[in-house]
Amino acid sequence: MTREEILAKVVEIVRPFAKNKDALETAGPETNILEDLKVNSARLVDVILEFEDEFDIEVEDEDADSVNTIGDAVDLIEAKIG
Amino acid sequence: MSDPSGLTRRERLALFLQREVSRLASWFWIPASAFTMRYLLGYRIRNASRLRRRFRAMLRESDGPVLICANHLTMVDSALVAWALGGTWWSVFNFRWVPWNLPETRNFASGGISQLAVWLTKCIPIRRGGRRQDVSTILRRVQHLLSRGETALIFAEGGRSRTGRVQTDSIAHGMGRIAASVAGCRALCVYLRGDRQRTWSALPVIGDSFYVDIDMFQPTSDRSGMRRSRDFARQIAERLVRMEETYFARRQRRS
Repeated sequence: MTREEILAKVVEIVRPFAKNKDALETAGPETNILEDLKVNSARLVDVILEFEDEFDIEVEDEDADSVNTIGDAVDLIEAKIG
Repeated sequence: MSDPSGLTRRERLALFLQREVSRLASWFWIPASAFTMRYLLGYRIRNASRLRRRFRAMLRESDGPVLICANHLTMVDSALVAWALGGTWWSVFNFRWVPWNLPETRNFASGGISQLAVWLTKCIPIRRGGRRQDVSTILRRVQHLLSRGETALIFAEGGRSRTGRVQTDSIAHGMGRIAASVAGCRALCVYLRGDRQRTWSALPVIGDSFYVDIDMFQPTSDRSGMRRSRDFARQIAERLVRMEETYFARRQRRS
């Protein structure tokens, strides 16, 4: 799976959780999930669990600490799926 | 007891220093806090003696770490919970059972004096919804403290409930993460509510009486990673929801 494909899937997974739908339309690797997309911090866990299901990976809490932006999420997923 | 936190020596030393200074200062701040709640604000804990006996009996059941998980309606809930469970002098003489608190930085620790006050009163300010790495650092401090036999109080919903009821859709994942990462950690669920508390507010009504219920259990999960932490957080939240249902059922029977 290419990085662009992962990025596109990440954006689709985040979509239902994002309160700022406008920011979602221009979302890129630098987009901050909590601040720019206004995802509730309590729901970020659900987002990451969706990554687990979608990409068949397991994420530890410590791994998830590095996820601030869409790009961070893509990096994490890339590292997990090898 | 192993320490899962991975804190540096400097960070551990800072917590040790804070705890010891706070312990010395507790001869002042615990009675002052209790006096303020009891006499200046007129608060009463219903069946306080029985509640405190139950709390101490629960602590005697095991020497393992205890994470206190409470519902959250007002900005003084942490002080009320600590007072309700320990009273004044028992808390001074059993300082390890006075819980560490995680107040919101913007509410309690934004200035010099308030910052000093929270430092002296066993608090570790946290910026809710802040950078995940910063939140993680705070959680690791709590993990360290629990593994050293201290106790901490965390609000199950992170912030004050905007509906006045336990909100299962905004449960603090960090609560489950701490409970799951500290071996043998038990969750002491505390449901606290003033008789005149309709919904969330800054302070409870002056002169209010408080219903407090407690229940201790050890969450379990056969999963791993974040799902294990989430299972723990959900179990604690579900316990609090049941305690809330009991409260409202009793209140309905009384009216």
